[in-house]
Amino acid sequence: MLPSKRVTGSTVLIYALLILGGIVVFYPFFYMLMNSVKTGPEILHAPTSLPRQITFSGYEGVFGRLNMLWLYRNSLILAVSITLLNTFLSAMAAYAVAKIPFPGKDFLFGFMLATMMIPAVLFLIPTYVMIYRLGWVGKFHALIIPSAVTVYSIFLIRQFMVAVPDEIIEAARLDGANDVQLFLRVMLPLSRPVLATVAILTFIGSWNDFLGPLLYLNRPETWTVQLGLYQFKTSIPGENAQQIWAATTLITLPLILVYFFLQDQFTRAFANVSLK
Amino acid sequence: MAETSAQATQTAPRAGRKKGLWQRSRRHAWGYLFVSPWILLYLVFGLYPLLLSFYLTFFTYSFVRPEDYVFVGIGNWIRGLQDPLLWKSLFNIFYNQGIFIVLKNALGLLFAVLLYKATYFGRLFRTIYFMPVVVSIVVLMTIGEFMASPTGPLQTMAVRYGLSGGPVFWKFSPWLPMPVIALINTWKWFGVSMVILLAGLYSIDTQLYEAAAIDGASGWLQFRHITVPQLRPQFFFLLVVDLIFGLQMFTEVFTIGFDVFGGTNNQALTPVLYLYAQAFDRSNVGYASTLGLLLAVIIALLTMLQFKVFPREAR
Repeated sequence: MLPSKRVTGSTVLIYALLILGGIVVFYPFFYMLMNSVKTGPEILHAPTSLPRQITFSGYEGVFGRLNMLWLYRNSLILAVSITLLNTFLSAMAAYAVAKIPFPGKDFLFGFMLATMMIPAVLFLIPTYVMIYRLGWVGKFHALIIPSAVTVYSIFLIRQFMVAVPDEIIEAARLDGANDVQLFLRVMLPLSRPVLATVAILTFIGSWNDFLGPLLYLNRPETWTVQLGLYQFKTSIPGENAQQIWAATTLITLPLILVYFFLQDQFTRAFANVSLK
Repeated sequence: MAETSAQATQTAPRAGRKKGLWQRSRRHAWGYLFVSPWILLYLVFGLYPLLLSFYLTFFTYSFVRPEDYVFVGIGNWIRGLQDPLLWKSLFNIFYNQGIFIVLKNALGLLFAVLLYKATYFGRLFRTIYFMPVVVSIVVLMTIGEFMASPTGPLQTMAVRYGLSGGPVFWKFSPWLPMPVIALINTWKWFGVSMVILLAGLYSIDTQLYEAAAIDGASGWLQFRHITVPQLRPQFFFLLVVDLIFGLQMFTEVFTIGFDVFGGTNNQALTPVLYLYAQAFDRSNVGYASTLGLLLAVIIALLTMLQFKVFPREAR
């Protein structure tokens, strides 16, 4: 028996698989980055090689044809307002459902959970018909208002708030705090971890949303980065492929940088969604 | 609570009760006030569209000529059940999800176990594996489309090393688009399975492994009889969520460059893409609403089936 040798063997296997997986997952991003500084013919004829010389013509072309900063502005307006509204209003409802006694509360919470069972596809057409008749098509609030408070966020925050000991709330109430003060000064600060989870999930969902902007933001001045990239991709002839890759890189890199700085919060947010 | 202040004024019982009642109903009012944004939004953007979707299924309605409302009874339902494109789209999505769900969760489990065992650099690898999760579908499908294209790096290398006889135009093939999209989606989503299963692995009591090791169980036996059964709640959650979201796939096929009917042979037509085509290409809004209802019913039935199949203690 040579236990130490066996351990080494399996450790080598573990790290070999981890490295292989890392290469497979990372290579497409590397490919994107390389293509953004290649020339069009090189992308087409030498897809596996490194760029022979680095050119920024793709980036120049993108900035000439596509108002990148404007796309960013639109996406930020949408994602930031949806995230702030959704986190705050969902936390409000979650606090009521978790800690304020009122008649019909259990029924209301049960009803909320039941609404989660209905698949989103059912709402696609009727919601569009409604927003179309309201004359909201082409306006940001067509996407912001329906997402201002969602059951899933309420549910996640409620699960956290239920675990806050009642003694904390009673103590604050004896000190004369009303529910608004309790919510703003006690519950919100205590719930910071779950609020971060909800905010991150909402922000990514809104930032990466494609179908919503495709349906409701049809004018170029309201395009988001995702819609802009899609429209740009379909309008660019093959010989200008480097412009597609420059645009793709430009809309991907900022998000990846944010992810690198907040990665623990990101992975925790996704790991938390399964905690019941 | 409200009772404590009522007790404090017990010398004047009537006044105290009154105050307690008043305080209680004031709390009730706060409760309703705090949930009122949700109730209001749900009435407008939940309940009303829900009723409208049922209503629309009985009519033909067009965005182009909204005044032409024609009552067709259950005509849209009959049309849906007889529509070969709907069945084709359902076949495609099950074909796609069958591959995707197995690969995504198997790889998620494999890398969760590897990260659990790795003492060093675990965080670095996790960072890389999770990266595609935060990047948008539009970007990943753009990259994937070119990676897999006949002039892309994968096919070029396959031809160079003799693995492939020549360029494969997979987008035009009747069988290849769905597996290719499933592979790209696996790349995007296996990180979610990984972090959820990894959290599950850390919650398993290590004494179970120690006891099994004393009994002489090998690593594989421990994995088979401790790890996998202990992770059942996580798998249940993942499978339920995967199916609900997977069956509603739209952006993937739309942005990877298929037309609204999923290519000339509908090889990449998914139910939601078909619904989109009927509503916004053909302006058959009533029929599209029926398709939405049909798909919602199918998803709800399959979700219920999953709850039936999985033993209660495993959820």
